[in-house]
Amino acid sequence: MTATVEPTTATSGPDPPLAEARRGFGADLWRAVARNRKALAGLVLLVFFLVLAVFPGQIAPHDPQAESYLPGLGPSSHHWFGTTAYGQDVLSQLIWGTRQSVVIAFAVGGLATVLAVLIGVSAAYLGGVADGLLSLLTDVLLVIPIFPLIIVIAAYEKNSGLFTLVIVLGALGWSYGARQLRSQTLSLRTRDFLESARVRGERKLYVIVFEILPTMTSLIVATFLGGALYAVLAAAGLQFIGLGDPSSQSWGTMLYWAENNEALGANMVLWAIMPGICVAGLGAAFALLNYAFDEISNPALRMRRLDRTIRGSSKGDRVDVSVDPERILEVRGLTVAYASDEGPVVAVERVDFDVNRGEFLGIVGESGCGKSTLLYAITRLLGPPFAGEIMEGQIVFQGRDMVALTERQLRHIRWREFSVVMQSAMNALNPVLTIAAQMRDVCKTHSNMTAKEIEERSKEVLRLVSIDPIHLHSYPHQLSGGMRQRAMIAMALLFTPDLIVMDEPTSALDVVGQRSLMVQIKELQKRLGFAVVFVTHDMSLVSHFSDRLLVMYAAHVAEFGKTRQLFDQPRHPYTRALLEAFPSIRGPRVHLLGIPGSPPDLARPPAGCRFSPRCPHVMARCRSAQPPLFDVDGDLVRCILYEKGAAPDATLATASEGAV
Amino acid sequence: MRFVLRRLGFFVVTLWAAVTLNFLIPRLMPGNAALAMMSRYKGRIQPQAMHALEIAFGIHTHQSLPAAYFTYLGNIARGHFGISLTFFPDAVSHQVLQALPWTLGLVGLTTVIAFLLGTLIGLVAAWRRGGFLDGALPPIFVITSAFPYFWLALLAIWFFSIKLGWVPESGGYDVTTTIGWSWTFIGDVLRHSILPAFTILITSIGGWILTMRNNTISVLAEDYVRMARAKGLKPWRIMWTYAGRNAILPNLAGFAMSLGFVVSGAILVEFVFNYPGVGWMFLQSVENQDYALMQALFLLLTVAVLVAILVADGATALLDPRTRDSS
Repeated sequence: MTATVEPTTATSGPDPPLAEARRGFGADLWRAVARNRKALAGLVLLVFFLVLAVFPGQIAPHDPQAESYLPGLGPSSHHWFGTTAYGQDVLSQLIWGTRQSVVIAFAVGGLATVLAVLIGVSAAYLGGVADGLLSLLTDVLLVIPIFPLIIVIAAYEKNSGLFTLVIVLGALGWSYGARQLRSQTLSLRTRDFLESARVRGERKLYVIVFEILPTMTSLIVATFLGGALYAVLAAAGLQFIGLGDPSSQSWGTMLYWAENNEALGANMVLWAIMPGICVAGLGAAFALLNYAFDEISNPALRMRRLDRTIRGSSKGDRVDVSVDPERILEVRGLTVAYASDEGPVVAVERVDFDVNRGEFLGIVGESGCGKSTLLYAITRLLGPPFAGEIMEGQIVFQGRDMVALTERQLRHIRWREFSVVMQSAMNALNPVLTIAAQMRDVCKTHSNMTAKEIEERSKEVLRLVSIDPIHLHSYPHQLSGGMRQRAMIAMALLFTPDLIVMDEPTSALDVVGQRSLMVQIKELQKRLGFAVVFVTHDMSLVSHFSDRLLVMYAAHVAEFGKTRQLFDQPRHPYTRALLEAFPSIRGPRVHLLGIPGSPPDLARPPAGCRFSPRCPHVMARCRSAQPPLFDVDGDLVRCILYEKGAAPDATLATASEGAV
Repeated sequence: MRFVLRRLGFFVVTLWAAVTLNFLIPRLMPGNAALAMMSRYKGRIQPQAMHALEIAFGIHTHQSLPAAYFTYLGNIARGHFGISLTFFPDAVSHQVLQALPWTLGLVGLTTVIAFLLGTLIGLVAAWRRGGFLDGALPPIFVITSAFPYFWLALLAIWFFSIKLGWVPESGGYDVTTTIGWSWTFIGDVLRHSILPAFTILITSIGGWILTMRNNTISVLAEDYVRMARAKGLKPWRIMWTYAGRNAILPNLAGFAMSLGFVVSGAILVEFVFNYPGVGWMFLQSVENQDYALMQALFLLLTVAVLVAILVADGATALLDPRTRDSS
C-alpha cells in the first residue's frame, strides 16, 4: 500500500510547468509587453528620451550654452519654453540635458543589477556563512538611508563628476534587488530541473548562468528598472541642491540655476517647470515599465473580463424542477466559463446531477477536469483567483435557484443550510485569527448567540471531531495537519447544515489519516443526517463511503451512477482507467496502470468525444461527434459503446487487457 | 524573545555600520575639504575638542588608524559629536535636538498618515476590483511615484503661495510671532506645515496604495477569503479581518524598506521650504562644510529609519501570530 498519486504521470519527458520555468519568459515576454498598455506607454516615453539623448545636436534649435538672447523671455515660436535668466534657450538646454539623465539611468541601473545578481544569487547558492554575511550586508545597506549617504560622500568631494555619481549610486543601490533575487534563487534551488542538472554533473557556474538566471528574467528586469528610476531622481536631487558639477548639461543643474535665480517668482516659470517634467517623464517611463512587468509576471494583477455575449444563447431549454422534499440539490444544465487571454474557457459544460437528503455523492476525476469548478459553482463561490462565471443552468438548493439569488440573499443561507470544507485547512483557515475567533465570527453573523453560547457550541463541535477543546484558542499554525482539517470540519458543523460540500478534504493527509478522517465524516453524517458532496481524484477513497459517484472528464459528466454499480461494472473507459490507476485497500494485488496522456487543455478541447485521444477503445466515430449520455440500467454513460443500451462488457474487458 | 533580540542585534550592527561609514568616508575621499574646515576652527575651540575633531576626520592625528577608530567610537558612544561650525560655539548634539521635533512633527506624522491612508485606499481599491479606484489609481500613482519631491514642492510654492497667496512660502513659523504654547503660534506652525506636508503626502502615498492594492489582490485569491465568503460573513468583515489583516503584513515590511526613500525626499522638501528640521539642517551643514554636524545628522537619520523599522516589526508581531511563535 503506497500513498496515492495523481494518475496523470504516465507521460514521458519534462513536465510542462518545469519546461516553462526553464524557458523563463523569452518570446512570450514581448507579446505580453505589446498587449499591456502601461508597458507600451513606458516604452514610447523611453524611446522618445533615447532619441533626444542620442541626437541632441540635430534636434535642439539653439546652442544650449550660448547666452545670446534676451534673458527671461516668455514662450514664443522662436523659444518654445522661453529663455533663462542668462539668456539661454530653455528647450535646447532640456534636449541637451537628456543625455546625462539617460546615461546615469542606464549606467546605474546596469551596475546595480549586475551587483544585485552577483551578490543575491551567490548568497543563495553558497549558503552557510557566506550567505549569512552577504545577507547581513544587504539588509544593512537596505536600511541605511542611501540618499543622505550619497550627500555625505558628495560633501567631501564637491563638484563630483558623472563617473563618481554613477559609481556611488550603483554601488549603493543594489540591495533591494539582491534581497529578492536571493530568496527567488533559494526557492528555485530545490526545483527538480536544477536537481537533474546537478545529477547530470553540470558545473555550478553553468547551472547558475543557464538554469537559474533565465527563470528570473522578470526580477532582473525589475531590478534594472527600479535602479534606473532611483538614479534619475537621486541625480536630479543632488544636482538641484548644488552637489554636482554646476557647469554640466543636465535637468538637475537647470533646476539648480532656476531655483537660484528665483525663476518661479520672476516669471520664468517654464525654466523651473520643464526640467522637472522631463525628470518625471523619464522616471515615469521606468516606473510604468516596472509596474507592467509586475503585472505580466503576476497574472492575478490583471483583470480579465468574460464576454458574456459569446455564449449563453441556449438558455431556452430550461428544465422545470419539481419540488421534491427529498431532493436537496438539483443541478440542471450547468455551464461555467473562465476568462483567459485566449477567450472564454468552458470548465464545466451542461452538467446535470442531484443530491438527496442525507446522501453521500462523490465527484471524481483527474486534476483539471472541472470538478472543483463545479463545486465552487454550486456553492456560488466562483471568483478570484479565476474570473469564473456561471454561463447558464440552474442550481436548485432546497427549492431556491441559487443562480438567481443575490449575494445578500445567499449570505443568509450560507453556513446555516450548507457549509464548505476545503482542500487544505492550512490555506483555508485565516492564519492571523484563532480557531475560536473564526468560529465566533460566523456564529455572530448568523445567530444571536451570546459569547458564552458560542464558546460552548464551539467546544461541542470540536468534541464531535475528537479534538480536545483546549485547542479552541489556538492559531491554525499551532495545530497539526490532521487537527486543522478536523477543526475545519468542526467549523462546518456549527449550524448542523443540510449539506456539506467537501473539496478533497483529506488530500493533505497521509493514508492512515485519510482513512480515519473518512470514517469520522461518515459517522458524523449518519448521526447528524447532512448530505455530502465530496470531490476527490482518489476513487478508491470514496468507494466505501459514497452512495453515488459522478465521474467528470474534461468539463463533462463521463459517468454517473450508484457507487457499487460503478465499481463492479465500470462502463466508461475513463472510469475503468481511473479504477485501475489506484490501489484497492482490500482485495487482490493487481498491477497498477496509469492513464497515458493527460486531460485536454480546456481552451482547446478535442473534437468528438473528449476522452478519445487517450481511449483504448477509440473508434473513428468517436473523433467526430460528441456522444450524449446514455442511460444503461439507471447508470448514465457518455460513450457510444452504450448507444444501444447494451453492455458490451466482454469486449471491453478483453480490449482493455489487450491494451496493457 | 529571540525575535526581539535578533532585531536589536540588527539595530546595533546597522548603527555600527553607519558610524564606521562616517569614520571611513572622510579618510577615503580625495581632497582636503576636512582640512579646510579644521582651519576655520583654529584658535576658536579648546585643544581637547580640536583633537576629537581631528580624530573624527583623520587630520593631523598621530594615532594609528585602529586606535583612532576606537577613540572615535568611544566619543560617539558618549554622545560627543563635536562642535558645530554653523552654530558656533554650540555643541552639535544640542543643535540636532532643536531640529528634531520639527522633522518628527512634519515628516514623521505625514509619513504615518500617508501610510495609513494609502493602505486603506489600496485595500478598498483591490476590494472593489474593476471599480473607479482600482481602474484610475494605479496608472496615476505609478506616474506620480516618478515625480521629484523637490520639484513638486517648487510647484506647490509657486501656485499656492506666490500665485494664490493662501499659505506662507517658507519657514516653519512666522519670525514675528513669539514661540510658545499659544494658539497663535500653533496655528502659525500648522499654516506653515500645510504645503510641505501636502507635498510629502502626495508623493509618498502612491507607493503604499499600489503595494497594498497588489497585496490585497493576492490575498483575495487565498482560500481563507473564499472560506470567509462561504461562511456568509458580511463583506466589510471579510475585507477587514480576512483580506486587510493579512495583506497589511507585507506592506508593513515594505514600509520599513521604503522609509529611506521617504526620508530622502523629505530632506529635499525641507530644503525647498526652508523648514527648520533635520533635513534642512543637514543640507545647511553640507553647504557650510560643517562636517561634525553633518555626520551627527546622518547618524540621526539612520537611527530614525531603524526606529521606524522596529516599530513596523512590533506591529507585524502584533498582527501576525506566526512571527510571535517562530521566535
